[in-house]
Amino acid sequence: MSYNQRETPILAELCTFLVEDVYGELAARVYSILARHGRQTLAAVARASYLNGRQIKYGLVILLQQHLIFHSGGEPPVTYYEIDWQNSYAVVRFGKVAKLVEDRFGRKAANVMSNLLTLGHTRIADLKEAYFPPDTESDDDSDDGVVNGAGLKRKRAYEAHVNGKATKLNGVVNGVPAELDDVKPDPQSLANGDHATNGTSKAAKANGTAHATVIEEVEDNDEIASVDELYDIIRLLVERGWVRTVSDTQYLSPGDMHDMLQQRAIEEELGGAAMTGTKDKEKVHRKTQQLKRQIRDEWLIPPKFSRKRGDDGSNKRVKINGANYASAHKASSPEDELVVRVNPEKVSVAMRTEQLVQLVEQRLGPVTAYIYQTMLRMLEAHTPRCYEDFPEPPLATGEVVAEITMDPRFLVNARDIAKRLPRDFDVLEGLDPNAVTAVTRKGHVHRSNILSTAIDPSNLSMDEKTQLVDKHIRLLAEDPLHFATWHSRAGFSQWHIEFEEIAKQLIQSEVENTISARKGSLGVKLIRALRKKGKLDERATCNAMMMSAADIRGIVNDLTVQGFVQTQEIPKVERREAKHSLHLVWYDRQRAREKLLHDTYKGMVRIVQRIAFEREKAQPLLSKAERSDVVGNEAKWLSKSELDALQKWKEVQEKLLLQLFREDDLVATLRDFHGPLVSV
Amino acid sequence: MASAAPPLAVPKVEEAAVQQPNNEVVSPADALYDRCGERSQGTVFFQRDLSNMQVAGTMAELTMLLQELCDRHLMKLMTLEGEPCWKLRSRSDADKLRRLTPDERLLYHHIDQAQTEGIWSKALRARTNVTQQVLTKCLKSLESKELVQSVMSVKFPNRKMYLLKHLQPSEDIAGGPWQSEGDFDAALIEAVSGAIAQYVENETCIKVPGNWNDYEQHDRTAVIAQKKAQVQGLRDIEEAPAVKPYLSMGDPTASKVVHKNSPQYPTAASVANWLNSKGILRGKSCREDDMEQLLEMMVLDGRLEKISGTSYRTVLTAVDTKVYNGFVDAPCGNCPVFDLCGDEGEISARTCVYFGQWLETQSEEI
Repeated sequence: MSYNQRETPILAELCTFLVEDVYGELAARVYSILARHGRQTLAAVARASYLNGRQIKYGLVILLQQHLIFHSGGEPPVTYYEIDWQNSYAVVRFGKVAKLVEDRFGRKAANVMSNLLTLGHTRIADLKEAYFPPDTESDDDSDDGVVNGAGLKRKRAYEAHVNGKATKLNGVVNGVPAELDDVKPDPQSLANGDHATNGTSKAAKANGTAHATVIEEVEDNDEIASVDELYDIIRLLVERGWVRTVSDTQYLSPGDMHDMLQQRAIEEELGGAAMTGTKDKEKVHRKTQQLKRQIRDEWLIPPKFSRKRGDDGSNKRVKINGANYASAHKASSPEDELVVRVNPEKVSVAMRTEQLVQLVEQRLGPVTAYIYQTMLRMLEAHTPRCYEDFPEPPLATGEVVAEITMDPRFLVNARDIAKRLPRDFDVLEGLDPNAVTAVTRKGHVHRSNILSTAIDPSNLSMDEKTQLVDKHIRLLAEDPLHFATWHSRAGFSQWHIEFEEIAKQLIQSEVENTISARKGSLGVKLIRALRKKGKLDERATCNAMMMSAADIRGIVNDLTVQGFVQTQEIPKVERREAKHSLHLVWYDRQRAREKLLHDTYKGMVRIVQRIAFEREKAQPLLSKAERSDVVGNEAKWLSKSELDALQKWKEVQEKLLLQLFREDDLVATLRDFHGPLVSV
Repeated sequence: MASAAPPLAVPKVEEAAVQQPNNEVVSPADALYDRCGERSQGTVFFQRDLSNMQVAGTMAELTMLLQELCDRHLMKLMTLEGEPCWKLRSRSDADKLRRLTPDERLLYHHIDQAQTEGIWSKALRARTNVTQQVLTKCLKSLESKELVQSVMSVKFPNRKMYLLKHLQPSEDIAGGPWQSEGDFDAALIEAVSGAIAQYVENETCIKVPGNWNDYEQHDRTAVIAQKKAQVQGLRDIEEAPAVKPYLSMGDPTASKVVHKNSPQYPTAASVANWLNSKGILRGKSCREDDMEQLLEMMVLDGRLEKISGTSYRTVLTAVDTKVYNGFVDAPCGNCPVFDLCGDEGEISARTCVYFGQWLETQSEEI
C-alpha cells in the first residue's frame, strides 16, 4: 500500500469531520462507513448503515465528484469503493489553495480555483456556464454573483453552491461507475433537508479566514469579464500544473492501480508467465514503478487549447459592454468537454515554497526571503510534485546509475531574479555594508558601519543589482540548511535547490520546535546530540552534551514517554540484569515524524470538535443572527449583549480556524514534502 | 636519555671515582644514589649507565648495591622494552615507604604501577587478594601519609581511582579542562561558551545600524509598505512581521546583526588559540580536542552553527519572537493529558480547561 494511503484511525476521524463540515451529513455518513470499514462494495455499505440505497448513492456521488473516494474500474461485476485519504484531508486546504493561487496568478485565477475546489471535477463548459449563465436558464441569479465572488457575503456564496446549483453534478457523469447512473443529479434531493445548509455555513467558515479578507474588498474589475479571459485563466492553470484533466485511471485506488500495472508489467516483461525468483520480481517491480510514473505523468500533460475559440471575433470593447453573455453562448470550444480538477500535488509544492520562505525570513530576514521566494516561484512552474512517489528501485547489482545531468529547468540564475524584482525593492537591506560597497564601488564604510555615500536601491544598474542578488543567494547557500546550491556561472551565478535535503531539515526543525516548546532547549539539545551521534549510552550522552547525568536523565525519560526518543537495553551477560546491560538511547527521525504527525491530526480533531462545541453554545444566537431579516441589520435587531456575544463567537472561531490552518502547515511539512525516511 | 650524555658524563664519573675512596663515611650504595641524584630529576638509569658510574667494581657488586637501594626504597626497579632499569626516589619518600606495613607496601606497589591512569579500588583488591577491611584501612593510611590520592573517574562516575600523590590524573579519569572532580563544571562551561559565542560573533557577524544606508526616502517607506501589503495580499496574523522591517528602516537606534561578507570562519584550533591567549581558563590550557568538544556542544545548543567540516559561525535569527508551530502553539501541543483526551468523557474538547483559558470561553462542567 502506498505510504500516503496508509490511514490511521485518527486521520479517519479528522477526515470525517472535515467532510461533514464541507459536504454535509449525508456524504459524511457514507464517508464514515468507508472510513471505518475500509474498502467496501455498495451492498456492504448498505448493510453497514441505516441509509437506503438511494441515499447512499447520492452520498457516493458527492464523494466521487470531489475525489474523496476511489472506486475500482468498471469491468468487474462489483465495484469497490475506497477512501482517498490525501484528497479527503486536502479539504482543509481549500482556503489556502485559493490564497496560493491568488499570490501567483491574481484574484481572478484564485476565484476560478476556489470554484473548482468547491465543485470538484468539472467540465470546462459547466464552469463557463457557471460564470456566464445562458439567458435561457432560469437559474437563480445567485449563480453569477456567487462564482464571480462578487457577492459580498462569502457565507451565502457557499450556501448557494451546495444548496442547489444544477452545474454541480453535471460533470459527475464522466467518472461515475455504472451502478450509480440511475442517480439523477437532482439539486433538491442533494440539498437533503436542513443539514446541508448547516454544513455549508460551516464550510464557509472552515475555508473562511483566508477568503474572507480577500472577498471583502472585491472590486468590480476583479470579475472575470469574458469567456476568453476565463479560458485563458484555465489554460494558464493547466499549463502551470495547478489544474489537471480527469481520467478514469485517477479513480483507481493505489492498490487497484498497482494490481493492474503489475499485471501489465508481468505481461510485458515475462510474457504473462508467473513470477518466479527474485530476479523476475525485481524486473517486474521496476517495470511497475515505471508504468506508474508514466500514467501519472500522462495526467499532467496539458491538453491542446485552441487559440481562438469558435467564431467569437467580437473585440474586447464589445464584450465589456455587455455582449459577453451572448458571445459566451454561441462559442462552443473544442475543450468544453474537458473535465478538469485541482492538482493536489501542485498545492504541496506551493506550500513548500511558502514554508521555506517563512523559514528563510526567520533566519536571514525579509529581503533575502523575498529573493528566495522569487527563486522558488520561478522553479515552481517546472516542479510537478515535491518528491517522487514511485522511485526507480536501486540496482541490486550495485551498478552506479549514470550521473544525471541537471535539467536546466531546475536552475535559476541571479540575473533572472534581479530582473523580476520590483523596481523599488531595497535589495541592499540585510547585507553587510562592506559587501555593498564592494559591488557599487562608491564611497566606503564608516567605523560605525554606516555608508559614507548613501545608495538609493532604485538607481542601481542591472549588473549591480545582479551582484547584490548574488550576495543574498550566497547567504542562502552558506546557511547550514543549504537553501541553494551553486551550479555554474551562467547568468552571473546559477543555482539549484536540493529540495530533498531541505525537506528533511524542515521535518527535523519542526520536531525540534515541538520539543523546544514542550521541554525547552535542553530537550532540543538531547535530540540534536542523538541525531548526530546515533545510539548513545548515558556516559556518551553526558559527554556529547557536556552535562552531568542527573540533569539529562529526566529529559530522556520525558521524551521517551512522548515517543520522540527510543530506548534499548542490551544485556551483556546471560542473565538480563539491569546492572550488566547497556542502556542505549537513540532518536529515529521517521518515528518522531510519524508520532508528531499523528499528534497533530489529533490536535486538529480537537480543534474541529471545539469549534462545534463553541457553535453549539452560540447556536440560539446564531440562528437569530442568520435570519434573513436580521442579516445586514444586526445593529437594529440584536441587543448590545447579543452583538457582543456574536463578536466573541466570531473571534473564537477565527482563532480556532487560524490554528487549524497552522496545524495543516505542520502536516504539510511532516507528510507532503518528503517520502518516508529510511530509519537509521 | 642517558646516551646523550656520555661525552660529558664520562670525565665527571672518573673524577668522582677518584674522589670516592677518600670519602669513607659514605657507603657504596649511598655513593651510587648520590651519583644518580646528580642527573636531572626523573631520569631512568639502565645497567649500562650505572656501571659507567664506576661506583661498583664488578657486575655482581653493582647488583648487590642496587638490591640494597631497592630494599631501602631509594630506587625503583622498572622495565623498559624488556630491559631492567631503575629510577630514583627521594629520601623522604623512601623514608615513608620504609615505614609502611607489608600490606600497605603491596598496595602502594600496585597503585604505583597504574601511574596516571589510576587503579580502581576493586581491581586493587582483586590483584592483591587482601580483605576489604585491610584494603580500606591501608588505603586510608596511605592517603594520610600523602603517598596516594583518590580521584573520581569520569568514565565510571561511581568508581574511586587511586594513583600516586604527585601525579596529575590522566584525562581518561579526570576529564579535560571542562571537568572538575569527575563532573562537568557547568559554571565554567557557561562562562567560557559565553565568551566564545561573543568572539565568534565578532568574527563572523557585523552589526549594522538602522540608518546605515541613509538615502533620500521621500515617503518611500510608506509606499513600500503599502505596496508590499498589496502585493502579498492581507497576510495572516502570524505572518504579519513581514512588513515590519520596512517600517523600522532608517531608525538609527534599531541596529541589526547580519552575517559578514566572506569572513574568516573560526575553527576549533583558532578558537583554542584565542582562548589560551586570553588566559580565561586560569592556568589550564585548552587543546584543540577539548575546544572541538565545546564547540560541538554549542552547536547542539543552537548558539553556533557549523559551516563546513571544521568552521563555525553564529546562529542569527532575523525575528525576535519565537514562533513554534501550529500544533504546540495550540493548547493540545502542550497538554499534559493529551494522551488521555478522547472524543467524549471527562477529558475532551468540550470540557477542556486549556481551551477555555486560551479562548477565554466557558468549557462544559464535568
